[in-house]
Amino acid sequence: MKAIIQKKVFNYLLKNDVKNFIGVPDSTMKHFIDEGFKKNKILITTKEEEAIGIAAGMSMSRSNSLVFMQNAGFANSISTITSLVQLYEIPMIFLIGWRGFLKNDAPEHAKIGKIQPKLLQALSLQYKVLNEKNWKTSSDWALKLIKRGKPCALILIRDFID
Amino acid sequence: MIRKEAIGIISKKIGNQSIVAANGFISRDLFEINDKNSNFYMIGSMGLASSIGLGLTLKNPKKRFFIFDGDGNVLMNLGSLATIGAMEPKNLVHVVFDNSSHESTGGQPTISKKIDIYSVAKTLKYKTYKATTKNELENILRKIKKIKGPILILIKISKSNKKSPRVNIDPIKIKTRFMKAIN
Repeated sequence: MKAIIQKKVFNYLLKNDVKNFIGVPDSTMKHFIDEGFKKNKILITTKEEEAIGIAAGMSMSRSNSLVFMQNAGFANSISTITSLVQLYEIPMIFLIGWRGFLKNDAPEHAKIGKIQPKLLQALSLQYKVLNEKNWKTSSDWALKLIKRGKPCALILIRDFID
Repeated sequence: MIRKEAIGIISKKIGNQSIVAANGFISRDLFEINDKNSNFYMIGSMGLASSIGLGLTLKNPKKRFFIFDGDGNVLMNLGSLATIGAMEPKNLVHVVFDNSSHESTGGQPTISKKIDIYSVAKTLKYKTYKATTKNELENILRKIKKIKGPILILIKISKSNKKSPRVNIDPIKIKTRFMKAIN
């Protein structure tokens, strides 16, 4: 996704009362995170599960949180999603980079990229794949869900090879 | 001192201040000894009590939060101690009940006899205290009242056969009553 749209997504969520952006960086969402650093809103953790724990504490303090990660980190996080986020119904938005979306992405991303949609479905974690046309309506959808106390995910496709 | 005794001493001394209790026997002991709305009992997600505690302290800077953790939990999520040290929450008190074993799963050994959690926490910018007796623990609790965190209290405990029952409150109820107590 273009840098300018990534920045718009960040600012839109910030304007709509998402107060905390916590996670492990992914180059897929570099511009989203850079924009967050400019606004002094980013907390980088040592691993993804830690970010989810912190977001859970913030969310229980009635402060809306987003957790960002690559899909490798999403795979790390599955037990935390089932036994913390979903078990206690703690609202938060996951922003997950979709490595392995392009067939010629680096080999370590191929398998997780292939099973990512199935994993999300198996978890019953509702999600939308962001693009340059739907980013605003998808963000509104996610904001509405966390206001109703439900966790959800926004997926950012890795659409370039480096 | 066994874990249940140490948990009893602390939870009674700190009144209505909030506690995030790690999964397994730590939550179960606290639930049996001193159940309160301001206790957040973890059921799953081992290792994350300190991360949840960090999120709570950062958003509620005027309230003190206690984290009840075990040596197995801390070793599983050492990165969390590093993040806490870097963020320096003044209102975070991290209590580690150290029996050098995974008691909840049958007493298998952890490496905490070889790796000193107290020294690790000190390196990670915590203010650190250590207790092996009830008397020492009570003295520390008095001492830390006016000390700014992050604070770590390492309590050496012995294993015990006394098993507390499972936390029988619905997890969503645990959350909602905890939120009411802190907000």
